[in-house]
Amino acid sequence: MPEETIAEGLKKSGVSRRDFLKLSGLLAAAMGLTNVPPVSASGLPPRLGRGYSVNRVIAKALETRPRLPVIWLEFQDCAGCSEAITRSNSPTLVNLVLNTLTIEYHETLSAAAGFQVEQAKQDAMQRYAGQYILVVEGSIPVADDGVYCTVGGRTALDLLQEAAAGAAAIIATGNCASFGGLPKAKPNPTDAKGVWELITDKPVVNIPGCPAIPEATTGTIAHFAIFGTLPELDGLHRPMPFYGVTVHDRCLRRPFYEAGKFALSFDDEGAKKGYCLYKLGCKGPTTYNACASIRWDTGLSFPVQSGHPCLGCSQPDFWDGGGFYQGQSAPLDRPELAAIGAAAAAGAALGVGATLVNQAKKKAKGGE
Amino acid sequence: MNWTAILEFARGPFFYAALLIFVAGMIYRLVTVIGLGWSKDRVPAKGSKAGGVVMSFLKGILVWPFIPWVKNTFKRNPLIYIGGGLFHLGLFVVVFLGTAHMLVFKSLLGFGWGTLPLPIVDWLAAAGIVGMLILLINRIIHPVLRLISGPAEYLAWLFVFLPMITGYALTHHLGPRYEVMYSLHMISVNVLLIWIPLSRISHFIFYFFSRAIHGQEFGKRGVRV
Repeated sequence: MPEETIAEGLKKSGVSRRDFLKLSGLLAAAMGLTNVPPVSASGLPPRLGRGYSVNRVIAKALETRPRLPVIWLEFQDCAGCSEAITRSNSPTLVNLVLNTLTIEYHETLSAAAGFQVEQAKQDAMQRYAGQYILVVEGSIPVADDGVYCTVGGRTALDLLQEAAAGAAAIIATGNCASFGGLPKAKPNPTDAKGVWELITDKPVVNIPGCPAIPEATTGTIAHFAIFGTLPELDGLHRPMPFYGVTVHDRCLRRPFYEAGKFALSFDDEGAKKGYCLYKLGCKGPTTYNACASIRWDTGLSFPVQSGHPCLGCSQPDFWDGGGFYQGQSAPLDRPELAAIGAAAAAGAALGVGATLVNQAKKKAKGGE
Repeated sequence: MNWTAILEFARGPFFYAALLIFVAGMIYRLVTVIGLGWSKDRVPAKGSKAGGVVMSFLKGILVWPFIPWVKNTFKRNPLIYIGGGLFHLGLFVVVFLGTAHMLVFKSLLGFGWGTLPLPIVDWLAAAGIVGMLILLINRIIHPVLRLISGPAEYLAWLFVFLPMITGYALTHHLGPRYEVMYSLHMISVNVLLIWIPLSRISHFIFYFFSRAIHGQEFGKRGVRV
């Protein structure tokens, strides 16, 4: 199958040349491309890339590059990221990845089951060794030799290492695969870890979110399929086109933040008028994700738009990052009265001690 | 170690420790100052001591700041008066009437209050920062001030200035990424919290003591023996 180019596959399924070029343009826009990656990678000024229109380059790449095999593994997850992708209904990117690229193995979506599908995975890993994209969904438990998550009698860690060995690149989709997510929440009984903590000899891209924005996952896969490279990454291995700015930066309620107009509860006048949700615990200012620009359900809405503060689900350890409804600026731990009392008592004891010493000294001086 | 983890540390355990040190340190200072004791009052009072205290606070907080030109301290060096005034006003508004800070108090105390719109807080913060810069330049070029300024004075200036400038950059998304600036802001705030009881910045509490002592002496209308 992968010998056929992406464009040929599209043509076969009845996509006209015109629609194909439109798709190329949409892809470029969805991936946030303003210039051709080789231009930006070379460090030359972006204007040099303007001679080429980006969608032409993408069309060319789709016509020449073979289809990209994808192997999708699930570990300690809820399959929510897969759900999000299948239901995103985004006609371009998602269709491209699900139908045009080849998903060789997906535990939830594969038609086959049991030994059959495991065999299919083994075959795919051998046939496309060094070429396939490995997508990981869910965290990997390492406590007690990884017994807390096994598939077909093998531990998640074992399966991950096996599949990673032959992968061209690894994409960790969702907060669990990226940073450990909910399974890693305190006290983390299974010692859950993200992929990048375990696999260090392959490029790992993190697409955190709960679930990950489908367009971010598929866009990154498409980027690799088209250019053969990964998009530019930030310090947490997140692709810059999708995680370059915070939710707060692109938030439609931002003007209310600037004007100091806040909703104080979920059903007050401010909430009805769509005021800023900062005081209700919105984590938008420290959360890097494309929710506010790509949005969900074909651009219909995203949590803040529909009236709920951002939980910060694309940040590491968001589950332990203070209360969801506690202001972003509030400290993570509030000292108990006993702790404050103990500190005050310690201070008072020191003070009384110092005073007594002072008075004794004074007396000694006066006595002379 | 990534910045999200550093931020978590600065907002979590570090802040927690700094707050407890602040409380313990301030109580220590209060007890030692009160433990110094008062001298005996051997002269009968001709006026009301309590009235003097009230007048002293009313004048100091509600009157003088609005008609500074009648005071000699203003006439002799208006720059210090204006710079210092702007700084204190800016700091007060930012710390107590900025939304982000009110939420800190709310999470610690359990109750909140209304706040000012960001642009107003923002301009006052900028005024406070400018005020601080004026005061620093004045301290460096003024020959007498320079003589009586040691490391403690410059450190106090720095430890107050860092939270101000990082907080301003934070709200305007200047410089590095938000969580980096936020981490720096929290770290500098924690350092300040620890520094306050050890330094003369503790005047934010002792100011009220000295006002009260002076006020009752003014109100007494008698000599001091």
